[in-house]
Amino acid sequence: MGMPKGYAGKVAIINLTEQNAQILPTEVFYRDYGIDPRLWLGGDGVITKILSKDLSGPVDPLDPENEIIIATGPWTGTAAPWGSRTMLGCLGPETGGFESGSFGWVFPAVMKYAGFDIVIIRGKAKKPVYVFIDDQTIFFKDAAHLWGKETGETVKAIRAELGENYEGEIRVLSTAIAGEHLVPYAPPCADGTSCPGRTGAGAVMGSKNLKALAVRGTGELAIDNPMKLLDAAQHACDIYLSDPLIKLWQEHGATTYLLTVRDARVNGNHIRENALAADFPHMNNVGCLNCPGRCYHWLQIKEGPYAGTRQLGGHMTFFYTGQENLRLDNLEALIYYERVSQELGLDPASFSQAFNWAVECFEQGILTEKETDGLVLRWGDEDLIWEVMRRIAYREGNLGELLASGVAQASQKIGKGSEDIAPHVRGKPYLLKDARLQALVWALGFLTSPRGGDWLRCHNVFENTFFAAHSTNQKTFLKYVGKTSEEVYRILMDKVDIPMDLRKRMFGDPPKVDVEWMRKPEGKALITVWSEDLVGLFNSLVTCMYGATGQYLLVGVGPTTFSEILNHITGWNTDYEEVMRIGERVLNAQRLLNYRLKRWDREQDRFADKRCYEVAKTGIYAGRKVPWEKALDEYYQFRGWSERGLPTMGKLKKLQIEDLAEGLEEKIEGGD
Amino acid sequence: MERKVLVFDPYRCTGCMYCMTACSTYNEGNTSFSKARLQIFRHEGHALTKTNEEDDLIFLLIACQQCEDAICSGVCPTKALKRDVSTGAMVINRNKCVGCRMCLMNCPFGAISFNLRKKQVFKCELCAGDPQCVRFCKVEALKFVPIEQTPLAKRSRTAEKVKEGLMEKVRNVTYQGG
Repeated sequence: MGMPKGYAGKVAIINLTEQNAQILPTEVFYRDYGIDPRLWLGGDGVITKILSKDLSGPVDPLDPENEIIIATGPWTGTAAPWGSRTMLGCLGPETGGFESGSFGWVFPAVMKYAGFDIVIIRGKAKKPVYVFIDDQTIFFKDAAHLWGKETGETVKAIRAELGENYEGEIRVLSTAIAGEHLVPYAPPCADGTSCPGRTGAGAVMGSKNLKALAVRGTGELAIDNPMKLLDAAQHACDIYLSDPLIKLWQEHGATTYLLTVRDARVNGNHIRENALAADFPHMNNVGCLNCPGRCYHWLQIKEGPYAGTRQLGGHMTFFYTGQENLRLDNLEALIYYERVSQELGLDPASFSQAFNWAVECFEQGILTEKETDGLVLRWGDEDLIWEVMRRIAYREGNLGELLASGVAQASQKIGKGSEDIAPHVRGKPYLLKDARLQALVWALGFLTSPRGGDWLRCHNVFENTFFAAHSTNQKTFLKYVGKTSEEVYRILMDKVDIPMDLRKRMFGDPPKVDVEWMRKPEGKALITVWSEDLVGLFNSLVTCMYGATGQYLLVGVGPTTFSEILNHITGWNTDYEEVMRIGERVLNAQRLLNYRLKRWDREQDRFADKRCYEVAKTGIYAGRKVPWEKALDEYYQFRGWSERGLPTMGKLKKLQIEDLAEGLEEKIEGGD
Repeated sequence: MERKVLVFDPYRCTGCMYCMTACSTYNEGNTSFSKARLQIFRHEGHALTKTNEEDDLIFLLIACQQCEDAICSGVCPTKALKRDVSTGAMVINRNKCVGCRMCLMNCPFGAISFNLRKKQVFKCELCAGDPQCVRFCKVEALKFVPIEQTPLAKRSRTAEKVKEGLMEKVRNVTYQGG
């Protein structure tokens, strides 16, 4: 088969039980696992293949048999735009099924410069350890003195004791307090900055007694056509930066973009207006490797109860969940929320949903002060929220222990109808407490996501822009972007890199911009399917889904451009169709893996919160029920799946993955 | 040809290091940090502090300054380092470099590195007049500008600060008077 350019060339298999490491050529590893790089690339594709081969049946995610797989792709660490990302996968502690998450900053590139495409961590150490990958040498180090340390402290201590020659030479992926206490929604964090936030892999690290993975990489990555790669990369960056909406993003990052475009406010203002009016103290925006979009704010709170707090962040998930689920309404508290989440290692979506659920239960008398250790639970109480976060991370008291098990398990434990208001799908909470508030395509993605009720596998820019055209923020849009949101949506429809016939099927001909059309389920699942396939692709390349599934599409950079860049890296001749097929393949393989492990089919493509199936009070479905079932029917149909929601043999053959159906108790016949 | 130099503005740098990946890709055909001709030094204070601890986040550049009176050239026993008059860069003659690392030892900035595989030194040679780092610095923290313009950005920023200070003074005076 031979590995193309763009790959680092080696795979490290680290066994914590035996305290040894095996280093294999990537080519040999791919062959052993039946992975054709052109069919699976790296990242999610490879993680799915590895888990499919290594796990024949269900495994407790906190059992030593679970494995952590850090899989980069051909894109990672090259001079391609958004070259910082890798995927980290395992069985997820929240769901027990397939789990993976993307992270960036600098760790993934350095791991590849050290020579490794993939690092797999197996087994369980007898006592706390951390692993140091120093180019091609792998060391096991005692971590007893690091156990109990927060994220930033861990990074600092490891860098100091390994004696880096300059700051940031050694990159550290670590778990923190919540991970050590096996909180199923504790993510690891890279360099105290970038986390595969929804994976719960911090708890998997905790279960393995693995505090951290440190890496130093001084090697090089071979590129098939460096000059053409640079030309294509520059072209993509320049198109990207030419758009005013992108410019807003580039200058002010996720925070302002979100609050301006969504017309959300904190302290009564858009953040950007705060920044201008009150000299809001962010020095600059900061980005991961090769990022022209840079979404990190360097935030420094100067006054009030959080004065002195410094945080590199200001990310959407914290603002969304902080505002909606915790009802925090001032900027300083939202920043502090992000900081505390990062230090303790808690996923903001899962934590805030657990908190939100607990408050609802408390108000309904399902939880009493006996279960909350005397705390009176309410929304928007900042000190209470920080205290609950701390108790969860340390599993302290009844409430800490209860919420640390995650909203799905906690509601099963408590019962009394609390299961019917628990906001999750297959054990994983979604973003906002009321799924109905969100649009159909987006929320349909909660149901079909391979990693449980999660929005990031169907991240689509279409609905966001569409709804911007119907929200109350027309003035702010015009003010900051220079166009109305409807104009932006029409430009998107015109530019987006989707073949014309498919585009017409997805968005109407000519494109519709009316809410009545958007409410109807017919054809909407096609947008979900396309968006999911795109995410499958980007998570296998690996590049930043955030920019790639959102901002890039707005300016017409899409799968075609990405296939061109991939071709310059690897020497292949892929095109739009081939790379989108990769995404589709990955999604289908993940569905099969979950069916094999958990028997997930249509039955589990359901919200646990029964209110999702009632008449909505607000949003585009106000006064009606959301047509979930109809949308799911359509979704399976577009996917070429059976009515039970499983890939058919016909589909698997078409995707060249019929081997993955082997060993399934039930072969799925039919298909296209 | 107008003499241009590379300038760096830490207030604009976002730490993305695209300059380094583009540099190594262009000059080596391979991508790495270690073979990049310029190096971004990072102070990632945010990651390392506890809440309430003071720390900063800043990125700095170390690259060849293309010194007018270049020590590297003076100490080179084979006279392998010469100025390219068209770009102003000090360039290494690969046929003459014997890999003694004398230039590397004496460069006051640490801007010269050694390539173990090729057994020769390497440094920024301004990509024959089209520096790739500048091409990929989308925030214009790195610029390739005529030498006379080098201090202009800093000068205008200083002027802005002076203006702010003066205006503050003026406002206070007005308030007192009112």
